[in-house]
Amino acid sequence: MSGNTASTAIQVSGVSRRYRNTTALDEVTVSFAEDQIHGLLGRNGAGKTTLMSIITAQAWPSEGQVRVFGQAPYENEQVLPKICFVREDQRYIDDSLAKHAFKAAAAAFPNWSWDLAERLIADFKLPQKTRIKKMSRGQRSAVGVIIGLASRAEITFFDEPYMGLDAVARQLFYDRLLEDYAEHPRTIVLSSHLIDEIAHLVENVVVIDAGKILLDEPVEDLRGRAVTLVGKAEAVAEISAGREVLQHEEMGRIARSTVLGALSEAERQRIKDLELDMIPVSLQQLVIHLTTRQAADGNANTALTSAEENAR
Amino acid sequence: MSTAQQTVDARSSYARIPAAFKLQFTVPSMLIWVPLLVFAAAWVIAVGIGVWIHAVAGGQTEPIYTGAANAPLWTLVAMAAYAASHTFPFSMALSYSRRVFVIGVFLAFGLVSLAFGAAFALGAGVERLTGGFGLEVYVFDLPYLTQGAGGVASAGALAAGLCLFLMMFGFFWAILYRRVSITMVWVVIIGLVIILLGAAMLVTQNSGWATVWRWFVEQSALSLAGWMVLPVIGITAVNYAVIRRATPG
Repeated sequence: MSGNTASTAIQVSGVSRRYRNTTALDEVTVSFAEDQIHGLLGRNGAGKTTLMSIITAQAWPSEGQVRVFGQAPYENEQVLPKICFVREDQRYIDDSLAKHAFKAAAAAFPNWSWDLAERLIADFKLPQKTRIKKMSRGQRSAVGVIIGLASRAEITFFDEPYMGLDAVARQLFYDRLLEDYAEHPRTIVLSSHLIDEIAHLVENVVVIDAGKILLDEPVEDLRGRAVTLVGKAEAVAEISAGREVLQHEEMGRIARSTVLGALSEAERQRIKDLELDMIPVSLQQLVIHLTTRQAADGNANTALTSAEENAR
Repeated sequence: MSTAQQTVDARSSYARIPAAFKLQFTVPSMLIWVPLLVFAAAWVIAVGIGVWIHAVAGGQTEPIYTGAANAPLWTLVAMAAYAASHTFPFSMALSYSRRVFVIGVFLAFGLVSLAFGAAFALGAGVERLTGGFGLEVYVFDLPYLTQGAGGVASAGALAAGLCLFLMMFGFFWAILYRRVSITMVWVVIIGLVIILLGAAMLVTQNSGWATVWRWFVEQSALSLAGWMVLPVIGITAVNYAVIRRATPG
């Protein structure tokens, strides 16, 4: 867990959320350290939005409790102004222009920065005279992203911010996020299923699937935790012996194996001698492998495979 | 807690009420321009009809009392419902507590209602002074509203009180719809009808209608305006109870 060095911004303890027939969250316990960028990963319907809604007091748990800066956020005006959560499908006031939404946000968030907002409006080329409901998907996403960034809220959630944004706009968002985060450190939670795309941004990864937390680790610990070896089957077998194999394929005499655990210096030398190719495992693949292994039923398998497909 | 314990940036839990109030006027067409437009249009149309009647009847007719003042009132009710269903999800994104949001709504609707009441009284005053524009066409200076204690001002007070209640009532239906299914909304409607019927039957059984009518006859517009405080407080409390468990999604 990453909560040892930094203090905890959000503590979720034993939170369940049940609807009539479904369990959206199942005894979730997780914490988010202060002044870090967290990735909240999982497929659609995994419980990401429900978790964020409960943390931000837009919804409430069936069981368990949430503490934000040590306080329950529900109806708590001491904590709520420090939180910003613009939904991916956020509804705005009908007939409003982007400037209306920004004015309202400026009045609501104590740390709001008009300088940043105006810069982002120019960056995203947001139309000034188009009503929000008439905007394209990407422009609507940009409105939410601008509110999230310019609010400079102590805790900011970005709900699938890439939805509707094209590659250029997404890169712009990531660049501006990192720039402003460097100047104004705060707790940021990015929800996404494009793991690799946000891998270089996030310091901590929380993976949620079917309402359960599957993984909660610093990105650094995850990197180098697995490696894919490609080469002669017997050579691959020699190195992977005694290790947990996450994935294994054989085509004739060539094998391709993804194994868990860091490699020692001697092993690296041996891999060279055996003329094996060593391919680093991307965060996305690692998460897929780990979650597939950990999932009790087959759900996570199909879930994250589809996430992988989407990423391509 | 002593002030020494409070940090520099400690804020009152009600510090954002002015912002929540202004939120309702973010798009000024909703609570300002559209109701004003309807107010002016209803008046102009009513007077226009009066002019037409005079032209057709050829000269002096009986005074004409119209219900045109209803139009801006019901426009405001619809706009209140509309505001609730659109500003509530956005207010959640702005991280307002539901309490601060409802207080902001109440204050905004209150201001609009006061403006409506003032406009009503002003309209009645103009009609009184000009004799219904010389045509005896009355939209606001209606005898049963303006003949009691307080005159045209009392009519304005009643209009304001009624307006605030109806706006909060419109808001109630929109928030209820956000919170429960459409079936439940109809269950609530049927429930309200049954309660009203039950009350009517109770009054009938006790031969109480004479008392009820006498009570109304004895009231002036001013005292009725005073009585409006009770349903306004009631519906506001109900609205907060409903919105406490409403979600924006």
